Amino acid sequence: MNGEILALMSSLVLVTAFYIQGQAYYRAMVDMQAVQSILIATISSYLAYELHSLDLLLLAFSIVILRAFAITLFLRRGIRRSPWIREGQRGVTSMFALDLTFFSIATLVLYYLVLSRLNLSVEVGNLSTLIFPFALFFQGLFLITSRRSTVAQILGYVEEENALILLGVLLVPIPLLVEASVLLDVLGLVVVSSILTLQKQFHERVEELMG
Amino acid sequence: MNVNPLLILLTPILANVFAPNLRVLKLASAASGVIDVVLLALIHNMESPGFFLLDRLSWTFALMICCIYLTSTLYSLGYIEIRGKSLISEPLYYVLLNLFTATMLFTVLVNNFGLMWVGLEATTISSALLLTVETTESTLEATWRYIILVSAGITLAFVSVILLYYSFGTLTVTQMGGLETETVKLAVLVGLLGFGTKVGVFPVFTWLPDAHSEAPSPVSAMFSGVLLPSALYIAYRLYEVLPQPLVYTWVGVITALVASLLMVSQTKFKRLFAYSSIENMSIALLGLSVGQVNGALLLLLSHAFGKAGAFYACGELIKSAKTREIREVRGIAWRMKATSTSLLMSSLAVTGAPPFGAFVGEFLIMRSLISKDMILQFSLVLASLVIAFAAVNYHVTSMVFQEGEMKVERVPKVMSLVSMTVSLISLLIGLISLGVMA
Repeated sequence: MNGEILALMSSLVLVTAFYIQGQAYYRAMVDMQAVQSILIATISSYLAYELHSLDLLLLAFSIVILRAFAITLFLRRGIRRSPWIREGQRGVTSMFALDLTFFSIATLVLYYLVLSRLNLSVEVGNLSTLIFPFALFFQGLFLITSRRSTVAQILGYVEEENALILLGVLLVPIPLLVEASVLLDVLGLVVVSSILTLQKQFHERVEELMG
Repeated sequence: MNVNPLLILLTPILANVFAPNLRVLKLASAASGVIDVVLLALIHNMESPGFFLLDRLSWTFALMICCIYLTSTLYSLGYIEIRGKSLISEPLYYVLLNLFTATMLFTVLVNNFGLMWVGLEATTISSALLLTVETTESTLEATWRYIILVSAGITLAFVSVILLYYSFGTLTVTQMGGLETETVKLAVLVGLLGFGTKVGVFPVFTWLPDAHSEAPSPVSAMFSGVLLPSALYIAYRLYEVLPQPLVYTWVGVITALVASLLMVSQTKFKRLFAYSSIENMSIALLGLSVGQVNGALLLLLSHAFGKAGAFYACGELIKSAKTREIREVRGIAWRMKATSTSLLMSSLAVTGAPPFGAFVGEFLIMRSLISKDMILQFSLVLASLVIAFAAVNYHVTSMVFQEGEMKVERVPKVMSLVSMTVSLISLLIGLISLGVMA
């Protein structure tokens, strides 16, 4: 039962990632990132209850405050001048179809060639749950490579970081000091990025940087 | 003498207290560099590891960081003039420079893989805006590539941190080892790719030439001289957990070869030196993975000063000739004597010409490759060294000696002085090490 609850919640996290990949409007993408972070915080709270771990509960609070709230706020500020703006490039839907293929292959390869060969065990649920953070990680990478806009690429990076938190929570909760520092680091990076978002929203080839 | 590493770490941060007054902030930044170098030089007894790890290895990296921080701060006094459109103000430039140094020091001094990761990621946050001193289309694009590529790569390194914690139940560097499982092996290899993004290993080095060429020269010097080695330091600490010499050496060899081949076709002098940094880091990685730690450290130390000298000389050229193109810089031997001397010396230093320190370091590494029967790796690295030497020195000598039209403006003397001094230090390191070997 525990494993099924975890798998259900983790798969919802992936659904949010797919929504972000298939979405062209920035505001909706940013908001879905907040939903994704809240879902991860919920998983952390559930495991905190199951394992009687205060650290996991504190982590859940930190995720909600720093990621679901603060990062969303900064990203929204970055696009405040034109909240209706959407991805400039064509083919967002085609990329989404390509992403589903990439995602399926990467997940199968990862599970059968890597995860099943490592002697890993989890305290709650079963080993196959670990596929979700890895899939989310690849989904974040794909979002970065498939889009040209600053906002979409930041969201890809935040998705990667969410994947790491999910992996840590499911496999072995790492010390809170490290986890909190990671959350602050990501927040710092998003703040710096949102400054750049105001200056440059799309990324094309620049002749000066060739070679 | 015992010195608390926290003191070394806090010194550049404390300089930021003077941020409201630019003149005092500049002085305080330079003074904090001097204080840190003196503090590190005074250390004789290494403390037993606790929250910080100060052994010979981390001491050498910390000393390198403080020296280049000091010279870059002094050079900035003449180089940095922020007027008009810029994302950052001049006081903010020094504040970020100090924070950037503190984050690098934290990375090499802390005794915890998780916090090392945090420190390395913090170097990106503190240094990203330093690239935007001249806010242009290309600097903004280079800054963005730096942020997104490095961060996406380093994220992968955190998978390695999680796997290490799962295997050992701790992230303390000095408490790891003695466990040879597939999970630990995977952690070390994933860590190489993740932290390697910031070292500039193949194929994840694409951010590096952009960031190095678009950053202001004192920042390029810090990037190349000490930021890349800081990431290399973590990759080596990870390697010590469960050595994977085959993968590490081949990553080093392939990176050196690719970087040296790319150097041949460069048309901008700062990009040329950026590719040279990739080549030098890969050879240092190779040295560390074949157990030639002294050779690698000597190479890194000499490279830090040599490359700082090269980027400082490039800064003088950009400021006086207003160009970054190799073909537009001609005959500087007669027009800018001090700049051309330091440019020549530093390019010889970073390409491993005798008697510079890089030559001694590379010689020791190559000797180790032969002694370990790594003949194929030896041959490929030798070819890379020859190509890199020819490419850099061909371009530099054409800039220095070839006749041609060129207008130059005077640059502040402090810039030439710092540039010349660091090039001479690189030579001095070589002479001392040759003396010790003899």
